[in-house]
Amino acid sequence: MDLEKFKVHGEPLIYGAMISIALATIGIIVGLTVFKKWGYLWREWLTTVDHKRIGVMYILAALLMLFRGGIDAIMMRLQTAAPDMKFLDAQHYNEVFTTHGLIMILFMAMPFIIGLMNVIIPLQIGARDVAFPRLNAVSFWLFFFGAMLLNISFVIGGSPDAGWSAYFPLASIEFSPTVGNNYYSLALQISGIGTLITGINFIVTILKMRAPGMKLMKMPMFTWSVLITNIIIVFAFPVLTVALALMMFDRLFGSQFFTMANGGMDMLWANLFWVWGHPEVYIVVLPAFGIYSEIIATFSKKNLYGYTSMVFSMLIISLLSFLVWAHHFYTMGQGVMVNSFFSITTMAIAVPTGVKIFNWLFTLRKGRITFTTPMLYTLAFIPIFTIGGVTGVMLAMASADYQYHNTMFLVAHFHYVLIPGAVFAVIAGFHYWFPKVFGFRLNERLGKHAFWWIIISFNVTFFPLFLLGLMGMTRRMYTYSEETGFGPLNMLSFAGALGLAIGFVILVYNIYWSTRYEPRDTTGDPWDARTLEWATNSPIPAYNFAVVPKVQTRDALWSAKQDNIPLFTEEITKIHMPSNTGKPFILGVVFFFFGFFLVFSMWIPAIVAGVGIILVMAAMSFDRDHGFYIPAKEVIATEKKLRGETV
Amino acid sequence: MMKQLFPIRHVMGYIASLVLSAAALAVIYLDLSKTVDIIILTVTAIIQASLQLFVFMHIGESADTKKELYINIAYALFVGLVTIFGTLFIFLWGWYA
Amino acid sequence: MKIDASKPLEYATEENSNKIFGFWVFLGAEIPLFATLFTVYLVMVDRFASGPSGKEIFEIGPVLIETFLLLSSSFTIGLAIHAMRHGYKKAMMVFMGITLLMGLAFIGIEITEFFTYVHEGATLQTSGFLSSLFVLLGTHGAHVSFGFLWGSVIMYQIWRQGINPATANKAFIFSLFWHFLDVVWIFIFSFVYLKGLM
Repeated sequence: MDLEKFKVHGEPLIYGAMISIALATIGIIVGLTVFKKWGYLWREWLTTVDHKRIGVMYILAALLMLFRGGIDAIMMRLQTAAPDMKFLDAQHYNEVFTTHGLIMILFMAMPFIIGLMNVIIPLQIGARDVAFPRLNAVSFWLFFFGAMLLNISFVIGGSPDAGWSAYFPLASIEFSPTVGNNYYSLALQISGIGTLITGINFIVTILKMRAPGMKLMKMPMFTWSVLITNIIIVFAFPVLTVALALMMFDRLFGSQFFTMANGGMDMLWANLFWVWGHPEVYIVVLPAFGIYSEIIATFSKKNLYGYTSMVFSMLIISLLSFLVWAHHFYTMGQGVMVNSFFSITTMAIAVPTGVKIFNWLFTLRKGRITFTTPMLYTLAFIPIFTIGGVTGVMLAMASADYQYHNTMFLVAHFHYVLIPGAVFAVIAGFHYWFPKVFGFRLNERLGKHAFWWIIISFNVTFFPLFLLGLMGMTRRMYTYSEETGFGPLNMLSFAGALGLAIGFVILVYNIYWSTRYEPRDTTGDPWDARTLEWATNSPIPAYNFAVVPKVQTRDALWSAKQDNIPLFTEEITKIHMPSNTGKPFILGVVFFFFGFFLVFSMWIPAIVAGVGIILVMAAMSFDRDHGFYIPAKEVIATEKKLRGETV
Repeated sequence: MMKQLFPIRHVMGYIASLVLSAAALAVIYLDLSKTVDIIILTVTAIIQASLQLFVFMHIGESADTKKELYINIAYALFVGLVTIFGTLFIFLWGWYA
Repeated sequence: MKIDASKPLEYATEENSNKIFGFWVFLGAEIPLFATLFTVYLVMVDRFASGPSGKEIFEIGPVLIETFLLLSSSFTIGLAIHAMRHGYKKAMMVFMGITLLMGLAFIGIEITEFFTYVHEGATLQTSGFLSSLFVLLGTHGAHVSFGFLWGSVIMYQIWRQGINPATANKAFIFSLFWHFLDVVWIFIFSFVYLKGLM
């Protein structure tokens, strides 16, 4: 076997990464052995089917990926901080901006959102778990091992280097001969299957598992946003599945889909990628809208203004999101008619989005606002996201786009959309729901510290990019000469990136500090909130609710508190729970090896792994596990203990 | 026994699907204009797909999910058709000439 | 587990009807998947470069047999579910067995067809048109093959455990899958073969 293709040469940086990965792995193994935690890890986490634990694992993975993607970002900003920098060479710069995009969107924003929805949705609708707890574990492990497959590319074989959108012909075997884009097609495919399963799971959960009395139009706004997001996931991800499969066929088996000769059509890739890619933007942004809606209502002490228009604007966005994809390639060669059509549909999306912005503003109006950390992120989101949206409308004009296309103006635009529209939201949601999961709040003083660092640095980092774009700096250029005059603004942007890093370090330090020193909350409702997830104890018991709540109004908990409507009327009885299973984890591992062998065209091991996948699935079909019951006595004891009463 | 094993609805559906497939063959054996051909193919295919959906798959049989299932299929068809015709619009009908 | 006697077995528990609903959503996802493959095919159909066009390689004979097999197997799986609802285990097994055998025959003919194409110099690597043809047909064929394995596992479970809420649920979901494959085939039959031979 040719070992040469596994190696990545050159840079001290790569060797550094290899050594740190090796050290971290050894550290984890030694740590688990010394503290005798292997059994605990397997029983409580790797085999869990509990939606809360799966959610926590998603969020942990997302935080990890946030730092991986963040380091990529700092390397890029450092390389372009001054003219003619020699920190990275062109190839490594290509790899770094490619993995930055992939990781931040698919392995940071998506899992963070899916993690929050895993933790919160069943609670918010008053359910004991998701509809298919085992499939939920399958989803997580497929996502996780897909993410790992992409991450090892940095040290084994080389990372993808054709941009996160991997346009052909650049991504073809002819122009990207390393295995990097094989990793791209397989890692995304594996985690994409996991995401599709999540989509199905949550649609069924939300439509079929709601507490009695919770009609569709009484669902909390976050639940609505997640429902619509999952509908988009289910119908958009199959397009990516096909596109990635065709890419794999082109690269591994010599088919002629996206080639330049023999009837292939390179532009078809860009087309398919964005048929999925644009709805994907809404997949990460819509749940954010839901999170903000919850936070604004809670901290204004008012019900959400224009609930119905909020729901309908999201439904319209979900349909429109499938009608705008060509605005990503106005300059590709299609006619005026096509560009006009997609220009109009794109601008039309600004309307329902604008409706939402006004709804939030009207909710704030005359509210009794408390400026907590999650609320600060929400308040910062509104103006920053509006800048992102307005520059989006500028880009939507096809004729004007010929000027901005592929410049730093575009880069600034989508960071102004995605960071407030996804990252601030998940951080706000993280602070907001943290006490629900762990039973104590994150420290407010440290939280606000981090907030100011992040908000100010964000603008320092990305606002100069608008100007650089208008000056003519194109995206993805790894260096530039002094005469261009791009230097000073890039240096400013680099300074901003460092500030962002400090902000995120404070955020993580806050988790450590709060774990040790923050007072514990025994009320289960530290923010005086409105929706059902705050009606149970924190931390949440395994069965979520001792008794299934009965819902009569929209903000069920709020009206229960205000008008004394009892939520829990029934007696505590025994509770049925699904048992843990190791098969989803094993399935993930087998998929990982299947992907890895295909990346390196090792056919026989790949076939063996493929058969392994079918066998694990067959074994899951034969499973005859019917779960177990928690006796009523045990439920009552747990409830008392969580409320701080002595048993 | 035979009546219970071979319900009339299924048998009729099966015969109809065979007849429709045979009818679609007209496009290769009869000399029709291209537009007529495409119309025949589209109509027979849609009727056949509906037969499967309504007669064999019982899409409407469960009252508590009926509405959701129709919306599900409608949304899927929306995305599918937008992908097909949008792409053809970009690359064939609307390509810069 | 609560069993609702007023509904067919496969819907009897909440978990069961959730599984059926979830599978419908999955079939909803299969529609854009195949629509995307059709998109690629329709864009590529005239891009056969130096290779053969559809008209040159398609043969109506085997296609008609394939169509007949799939339509009939869709009928028999429908009968199997009908028998299952009346509790006739043996009739159900027979109908399901016939279904799977017809599926197997379908796969056999499709593989032979692929070999003929390759023999005539029409391979996956020849042209954009042929790549899209092979991947569209291959994806459908892979679904049928997976269905064959899946159906066999379910038949084994019914043989061992009889018709109960769990196995009835699996068999019903399998039938939805099988009917769906027939729907896809109808579109392949019409818009790949017949349109190609027009």
